[in-house]
Amino acid sequence: MAEKRVILLIEDERTISNFICRALAANDYKTIAAATGKEGISLFFSHQPDLVLLDLGLPDIDGLEVLGQLSGLPRETPVIIISARDRESEKVRALDMGADDYVVKPFGVPELLARIRTTLRRADRIRLSQEVQKDRYRVKDLVVDCARHQIFVGDEEIHFTQNEFKILELLCAHSGKVLTYDFILEHVWGPYGGTSNQILRVNMANIRRKLHENPSDPKYILTELGIGYRMLEDAT
Amino acid sequence: MDLNQRALALWHRIAGPPRDIAVTIVLLWAAYMISGALLGHTGAENNSALVFVLAVVLISVLTNRYFFGIMASLVGGFCVNYFFMYPYSQFSLSVTGYPVAMLSMIIISIIVCALTTRAKLMAEEAVKREQDAKALYELNQRANKEKAALQLEAARESIRGNILRSVSHDLRTPLTAISGAIAVLMESSDTSPKNMALLADIKDDADAMITMVENILSVTRIQDGTMPLKKRDEMLEEVAGDAVMATHRRFPDANVSLELSEDILYLPMDPMLVKQVIVNLLENAIRHSGDTQTITLRLLRQEDWAVVEVRDHGRGLDPDLIELIQAGQQLPAEASGDSSRGMGIGLSVCQSIVKAHGGFFEAGNAPEGGAVFRFGLPMEEKDNG
Repeated sequence: MAEKRVILLIEDERTISNFICRALAANDYKTIAAATGKEGISLFFSHQPDLVLLDLGLPDIDGLEVLGQLSGLPRETPVIIISARDRESEKVRALDMGADDYVVKPFGVPELLARIRTTLRRADRIRLSQEVQKDRYRVKDLVVDCARHQIFVGDEEIHFTQNEFKILELLCAHSGKVLTYDFILEHVWGPYGGTSNQILRVNMANIRRKLHENPSDPKYILTELGIGYRMLEDAT
Repeated sequence: MDLNQRALALWHRIAGPPRDIAVTIVLLWAAYMISGALLGHTGAENNSALVFVLAVVLISVLTNRYFFGIMASLVGGFCVNYFFMYPYSQFSLSVTGYPVAMLSMIIISIIVCALTTRAKLMAEEAVKREQDAKALYELNQRANKEKAALQLEAARESIRGNILRSVSHDLRTPLTAISGAIAVLMESSDTSPKNMALLADIKDDADAMITMVENILSVTRIQDGTMPLKKRDEMLEEVAGDAVMATHRRFPDANVSLELSEDILYLPMDPMLVKQVIVNLLENAIRHSGDTQTITLRLLRQEDWAVVEVRDHGRGLDPDLIELIQAGQQLPAEASGDSSRGMGIGLSVCQSIVKAHGGFFEAGNAPEGGAVFRFGLPMEEKDNG
């Protein structure tokens, strides 16, 4: 790649900010660091970064407010949230507000780098293709054929119920991105479905059994505990 | 307590009806003797009636309720007529004025008896009320004192918990920074192999401290009781999967396999805390069993329990530790064989978390060798939470 990707880091803890900058530099990213929300917003508009790393616990303004100002712009910039463990509801809210992914403190460098790579790839895909609805998704040996309503693992066709198929299709359409429970419920059962979390979770447990998926070593679907699910990236 | 009260207490302690009968007989007998003596000395007949009325008053005072007083009045009236009025030793209503005298004596006795008894009852009531009030006051006083002590203790606990929590919180960020910075150094090309080993040690310790901080955070959350469990319905296999993945990130060389249950285990729990129990048990196995390759985490349903089992094929547990855990005793934070790196606190935290969920926690050695830790969580919310 000719040009370095630019990442804006909005984080008030200097030591964390420092090591993230070093790690990003070592992996060929150009990093701009901001220590407050306001500084972050102004750097965002002056530098037009490719990705934003946003800590939710900022000293001046609420991280969610920063997120609100960054999202909904014509050129959508992906945002990865950095959050503390015990602020789960905040995390879910951030994802529902349009954040692409999150890491939880304490996080490791490899984990952070993996999330950045995935999110950037996804953003590129969206920009290039505008992510039109595809007829066929492929993740490793799992093939979801939406036109024919068939699912294969390798050569073997596996039968799924209507809702199970819809869940898989939805996850595939957004592969690489965390989908919150509410998002999935709304898209599969409809906004007025009035369905509880339980039905989604049980459906997912059944999907897992049909795919012989072990949640400790997932091949296709990652569980984001308490938040939602994520399909591994589409390979086609 | 003065003499009067002591006598009264003694009086009340002697049983009711037999005592009252004895009193009545003795007093009537005394009245009879006195009247007899007076009649012999003075020859005046009308003294005996007054003596018997006096006896009735005393009987009313000393016995329970109206019955004995009224009986004494009737018996007294009869006695006066029979023994002490002419014709002696003979019941007669024929002498002029006698029926009126006898009737009026009986009526006076009964009225006196009624008044005395009522006065006595009211006095007793007053005493009882006073005693009740006193007892209530004392009880109140004691309750207040206990409540104040309890409140103080709770406040102290909560302050302690808050301090621990904020300290742990403030440790988390720098530890993340330390661990992260070392990870960057370890990846950089200008770190010599010698320094690399040192860095690996530092990172290992920093990560162990992060685990410890998480444990302290959980335990303060449960033990100070100020924060209830954040329970919600959760899929156990997802929590377990998350725990295994977290363990794998810390110990990439260890091999943990997860066996799912056939039943879907969807139950109320605080998922972060349950995940921590599983992480602690897996870490315990990896660090202390001597086996890092064949650790299994099994989920199963047993009646109304969702059971999690962690099994290794290492050297097994010390029988003393098993006994302690089986007895349901809370492990001291520094117990459990190797207390380095806070694994002692780890097992103790496991116990606390499971207990807070209303579950059971067991440990033992498998017949084929290796340690087995099991814990169960109730499938349904219990009323007492």
